[in-house]
Amino acid sequence: MEPNQQLLSDLVQTCRVIVCCGAGGVGKTTTAAALSIAAARRGRKVLVLTIDPSRRLAETLGVSRNPPEPVPLSDSWQYAAGIKPPGSLHAWMLDPKLVADESVRRFAGDPESARGILKNRIYQQATTMVAGLHEYTAMKALHRFIIEGAYDLVVLDTPPSRNALDFLDAPNRLAGFLDGAIFRMFVPTSTGFISRAATGLISRIVSAVFGQEFTDELAAFLQTFSQLFASLNTDLLDVRTRLSQPDAAFLLVTSPSEASVVEAHFFHERIVQLRLPFRGFILNRSHARPSDQVFPSAELLKDDATPALRSGIEKLKWLARKESLQGHRDRGLLADLALRAGTNSFAIALPSFRTGANDLSTLIEIAKLVVTERRSGPR
Amino acid sequence: MIAPGDLLEKRVVLITGKGGVGRSTITAALSQVAQRAGKRVIVTEIGDGGDDYSALAQLYALRQLPREATEIAPGIQGAQLLPEVGVAQFLASVLRSSFLSRTALGFEPLRRLFMATPSFREMAVFFHLLTYLRAQHADGKPQHELILIDMPATGHTLALTALPQVILRLVPRGPVAEAMREGQSYLNDPKKAGAYVVTLPETLPISEALELLEGLAKTDVPCSGLFVNRVPETEFTEAERAALEAYIETQPLFGAEGFYRTVESRRAVERLHTATRLPTQHLPEVDLAGAALVARLADVLAGVS
Repeated sequence: MEPNQQLLSDLVQTCRVIVCCGAGGVGKTTTAAALSIAAARRGRKVLVLTIDPSRRLAETLGVSRNPPEPVPLSDSWQYAAGIKPPGSLHAWMLDPKLVADESVRRFAGDPESARGILKNRIYQQATTMVAGLHEYTAMKALHRFIIEGAYDLVVLDTPPSRNALDFLDAPNRLAGFLDGAIFRMFVPTSTGFISRAATGLISRIVSAVFGQEFTDELAAFLQTFSQLFASLNTDLLDVRTRLSQPDAAFLLVTSPSEASVVEAHFFHERIVQLRLPFRGFILNRSHARPSDQVFPSAELLKDDATPALRSGIEKLKWLARKESLQGHRDRGLLADLALRAGTNSFAIALPSFRTGANDLSTLIEIAKLVVTERRSGPR
Repeated sequence: MIAPGDLLEKRVVLITGKGGVGRSTITAALSQVAQRAGKRVIVTEIGDGGDDYSALAQLYALRQLPREATEIAPGIQGAQLLPEVGVAQFLASVLRSSFLSRTALGFEPLRRLFMATPSFREMAVFFHLLTYLRAQHADGKPQHELILIDMPATGHTLALTALPQVILRLVPRGPVAEAMREGQSYLNDPKKAGAYVVTLPETLPISEALELLEGLAKTDVPCSGLFVNRVPETEFTEAERAALEAYIETQPLFGAEGFYRTVESRRAVERLHTATRLPTQHLPEVDLAGAALVARLADVLAGVS
């Protein structure tokens, strides 16, 4: 087998966590789904976690919009995808609000205080505003499934965000919320070392900024949340540690344009800096794979070809030329990525599919390309 | 067609849409159109103070947009909208006592509390935007006649455009509320502000654009138009299409993929026009990248080509 293909094949077979990163619109969700199918075909119990995918992909995987728990791919679809026991594929489309509510219920202790938190207006606001919450949600859900260990492999499709690695920063941002000093000063019930004067000053500033009404509610929010956040933060740090282990893999998905590849280089540097296990580049929707296509030509037409076909072929020539040039260019980009990947990581190209890769058969086709079946031997 | 004049007459233009549709390129092209029309234009995006990759800045041969308004191309200013700058400006204006303001800013835990308070980051960005809207020359004319914002991913866009409503519900009075109302006076006025959705002529992006339009409609920020980017230039007649569809099935051909894309593009665009009556501007798919692509799209947008 070709070395790049071999590395990816091994990874799908042995890894416990795969994180698909990349800029928006490069096909992360599709890639995550295809890798999951590939692993499940190999007999692994796989969970694919995806946040806010396109509706059609959710439909493809048989995932309803916001299920409370991961759902298995239907039997007939598992069969169609060539997934046989012990292999299985579950998918979960994360709803940030649902994950947050569930965390509250878990940590609140009793149903009474859980209700109190869920009713707090600031909490409600915090969970309906999308910004930031996606990242917490992804980390939180990862934690649950990694710790529970119910799956052989968890594949995470990272949330849409300007910085594809934002979600890793969730623990740091939460730490801002958790700063002990703030709680001691701002939350009036805590007593101790901080002088009344300091507490008074902080309150004055905060209520000058937010107004008294909101400040009171914020205090209540922070008070009820200090404990919840503390446990949440430990979880997040756990995940962070877990993701640095050698059986985790970070993959970078990129589209075949100069700008997108430059961006992938940037993310690659970040992943390496963060000491996370980078494993490979996926050049998605590319024309880099060798093809058996021929150039359209009027000479190939039969004598009885219609004028419409003849003029159509003439126009097609332009598109053909562009596509073949694109093929050359994409092979250059792939070689560049391979150079960057070095010997321990891979760079592979996935083709662009006519339908936009959203139906199950296309996903299966990609899954087969990703991991060459053993019985069929090397491509 | 989107009349360039309508767009250029606004004070704030939000360019939004899903990742990968060409938002940054179109933002940069619009900045050139504005500059050619003699507008004092500033290009912005939301930064986080870190060394994030910026596709928009790359188009001006920068790694990032500057932190403060600075000329980034002839006649074009650029700046990041930064939460931390917004917070500082906001606190300074709200806490009239300079002692309090200095305390608040200098006290790290408090600063962090603000940044971690739900929606506060968005609010700070919003405030930073307000300072650019307010900035005037000595003669009372705005320093930045047109502010272009390359908005982040869809969800974050709606979080920002919905912000004034959300905040006013939570904090109906006080300095925060005042700032939000001032922001609304710009953002909810179709003469002064508009969101433009960028999409591609493909099934899924069109569905997503239509969803985004629904979302925007709920936030009182008027949607002023759509850009359909990368529309294939080759057009086949009905007869050619039928003939080619049958022929292409018989053998693997270079160009087949491009052919199917033109078919899908036509269908997707028709669907868009049935679903919305908003002004729509098509931009051609051209084999260019970076600055050359920006210049070409600017020509198209300005009606030069």
